[in-house]
Amino acid sequence: MDASRNTIYGIAIFSMVTIFSLVGLSARANETGLPSDMVKITGQEDFVYVWTLGVEGIGDEQDKLVTVGVNPASPQYGRVVYSVSVGGRNEAHHMGFTFDRRYLWCATLDTSKIFVFDIHSDPARPRLVETISDFVAQSGGVVGPHTIMPMKDRMLITGLSNNRDHGGRSGLVEYTADGKYVATYWMPTDDNLQGAVKTGKYADGYNYDIRAMPRMDVMFTSSFTGWSNYMMDFGKMLKDEQAMKRFGNTFVVWRLSERKPFKIFDMPGAPLEIRCAIKPSHDYAFTITALTSRIWLVYRDQQGEWQAKDVAEIGDPATVPLPPAFTISSDDRLLWATTFLEGKVRAFDISDPFHPSQVYEKQIGSQVNMVSSSWDSKRLYFTSSILSKWDKKGRDNQQFLKSFEWDGQALKARFVIDFTREKLGRPHEMKFGAYALYNS
Amino acid sequence: MTPPQKRPSMLGRILGLCVISAILLVSLNGHAADMDITLGPGDNRAGYESLDFESRSISLLQRTGEAGDLLHVFNSPPLGLPKIPVAPDNPVAAGKVRLGRKLFFDRRLSLNETMSCAMCHIPEQGFTNNELATAVGIEGRTVRRNTPTIYNVAYFSNIFHDGRETRLEYQVWQPMLATNEMANPGIGYVVEKIRRLPDYAKLFENAFGGRGPGIETIGMAIAAYERTLVSGNSPFDRWYFGNDEAALSEPAQRGFRLFQGKAGCAACHTIGKDFALFTDDDFHNTGLGWQVATGAEPSEILVQIAPGVKVPLPQSVIDSVAEPVSGDLGRYEVTQNPADRWRYKTASLRNVALTAPYMHNGAFGSLRQVVEFYNRGGVPHSLLDPLIRPLELTDSEIMDIVAFLESLTGDNVKTLVRDAFAAPIGDRH
Repeated sequence: MDASRNTIYGIAIFSMVTIFSLVGLSARANETGLPSDMVKITGQEDFVYVWTLGVEGIGDEQDKLVTVGVNPASPQYGRVVYSVSVGGRNEAHHMGFTFDRRYLWCATLDTSKIFVFDIHSDPARPRLVETISDFVAQSGGVVGPHTIMPMKDRMLITGLSNNRDHGGRSGLVEYTADGKYVATYWMPTDDNLQGAVKTGKYADGYNYDIRAMPRMDVMFTSSFTGWSNYMMDFGKMLKDEQAMKRFGNTFVVWRLSERKPFKIFDMPGAPLEIRCAIKPSHDYAFTITALTSRIWLVYRDQQGEWQAKDVAEIGDPATVPLPPAFTISSDDRLLWATTFLEGKVRAFDISDPFHPSQVYEKQIGSQVNMVSSSWDSKRLYFTSSILSKWDKKGRDNQQFLKSFEWDGQALKARFVIDFTREKLGRPHEMKFGAYALYNS
Repeated sequence: MTPPQKRPSMLGRILGLCVISAILLVSLNGHAADMDITLGPGDNRAGYESLDFESRSISLLQRTGEAGDLLHVFNSPPLGLPKIPVAPDNPVAAGKVRLGRKLFFDRRLSLNETMSCAMCHIPEQGFTNNELATAVGIEGRTVRRNTPTIYNVAYFSNIFHDGRETRLEYQVWQPMLATNEMANPGIGYVVEKIRRLPDYAKLFENAFGGRGPGIETIGMAIAAYERTLVSGNSPFDRWYFGNDEAALSEPAQRGFRLFQGKAGCAACHTIGKDFALFTDDDFHNTGLGWQVATGAEPSEILVQIAPGVKVPLPQSVIDSVAEPVSGDLGRYEVTQNPADRWRYKTASLRNVALTAPYMHNGAFGSLRQVVEFYNRGGVPHSLLDPLIRPLELTDSEIMDIVAFLESLTGDNVKTLVRDAFAAPIGDRH
């Protein structure tokens, strides 16, 4: 971190007050899983930032942050506005805003680099201001930074692997908002549960997503797999009996303020994304197991104890539809879940979180991964790529960003951007941007 | 990194039939390795096939060690092993070994700084990878074959499963330059990178009489380290060569007699009068490679999706996410002799309990499966090695042979692994 950037960050923190006054701030709102106390875009978003994997033989072959215009009032609607290549194919995956939403940290699962973009100076044209390239050494061997969860002045980052065996044991890494390493918290393992209660048979030490409910001083982590698997050709892995044993089966509840795990639940079959309910009266969160296709509810019971319950299945689990991503609406009524191998999205009514029921289903493409919802639940965006070596091959390897409008009954297509034809690569996670966040 | 062999490419002349299968565990993640950070993956998945599976994970923070006296190991080979061959132009010395070890664990020695030799040759996993059938290289690129162990590699002149390399000093460069392993764009690129890394300052000069990093010295340093990874004095060695009658269990003794007799394993996994390398350092066709190359794909494959849960996936689904598979013709790729098609090097059986999965393609997860394969007579076809035939071993005989194979673990394994744990892992600072 250089001095000029520290200055920028300083200004950014002071600017937060201004931001909160300008955008339709709602402490209860949620675009697609952002922390409850973070500023939101409650109206029309102007841009979708797409963290895109470079592909050999396509364009400049590098990972890049792509800006897409999504405001219908703009002449740039439905078009690629800008892209910034970062050098190398690093397995671009997920991103996280700083709490002030002026910077976007873009993480990578292979080289473990984190690229930090200034998105407030010109929201249409993100500027790469810093590259954290010593994440593995600083963290003591955590490989594959994944989810980046902002807190007031900190960033909590899940890691998926390690530099000893490229397996699934990993940790949480804490940075300051201006990019300084703070600490590593290793996931609980059988020989060192760190005080956590192992409620079932597993304590695998794996990691994936992270979400927090600050009002209850808890955070949750899920579990996926290590570098060897997430980087490997998907077809090769499915045939490898040893590799298929190396998936996470755990969900951990942590004391947020102490960064201490206190309960480990069994969730067989790789629980991936986590989404917390948004209403303050809703003390629960959801996750979905990718391999076993189950929706799990993690909730606080009448005694105040955290519990986990398998509440629904997605599609036909016997066919392994592979649901990798989901989002919930800001009124806690709908859960949208994609299934990668089927290329579908399904909507579940989660008004009763213990009994989700499917109410809608639509084919999005030959494959689909991420889904992001606007805060008002009227617009959903989908991208196609799950991992560089897991995407479908041949004609089914469609690479797109698709925009849909939800009218309460059906999804209606708005625009499609073909990332292969545009020579961009494999689109993965999306984040929203808006001029209104920064106009003062 | 991909040195010599490992696989019992022919457990001699093979073994009989049998059923059962309760025992398992045998090698990989074996019960003996349970919760021991030096023996097996810290992420122990033994029994994952069962709904009763319980995790036995070990914290990465436990993975610590202390430097061992590797030169002593080199100069005084353990019981059961011969004098270690010395390369005239590369005498093994302490400074060179330390430098070689540092290079071996340095992830910066790949194009994108994610792969070191040790990311495939993982110390506690038998200096191979127990968690993969075949290796995964830089950017996740496919490597066709199972990672061979480097235990006792000092003794072999046929290196890699197909024997395409003859000296460790040369072998070192292949994975460093292979586009699907470490993908360095050139030799000079590696040399200059090391020259610029401050933590290597003077290390080469001190180890090589003033010579800096170069194509020769880099190869010699890593080769020197690998030559010290010698492991013997196993229970079998103490029983057979040391005349300690109590050193080997009864089942293992029975297994040894079968190994040399009815099963005929020793025809290829040789045992000498004064020492045993358990390999003829030659190449044999067991039919496994032929089967993969010419056999029809099953219409569906059972895929494990959770502990104790497997589902049949149609081949068409797997094909939809699978890249085209490269062929593998074994020794033929080196000699271009049609008779060498699908012949692979006989793996040493020393420490074989630590080096699952087995065969050149990691097809078998346990020693029992390997013995059962040979008991069936491999895969019959016109190029099958004549030493391989159905063996008609009983189930108890199979278990005895497995017990014998499990007795081949050297007594200094923990020392070598803990020494490896003490090595710094090279990451970008």
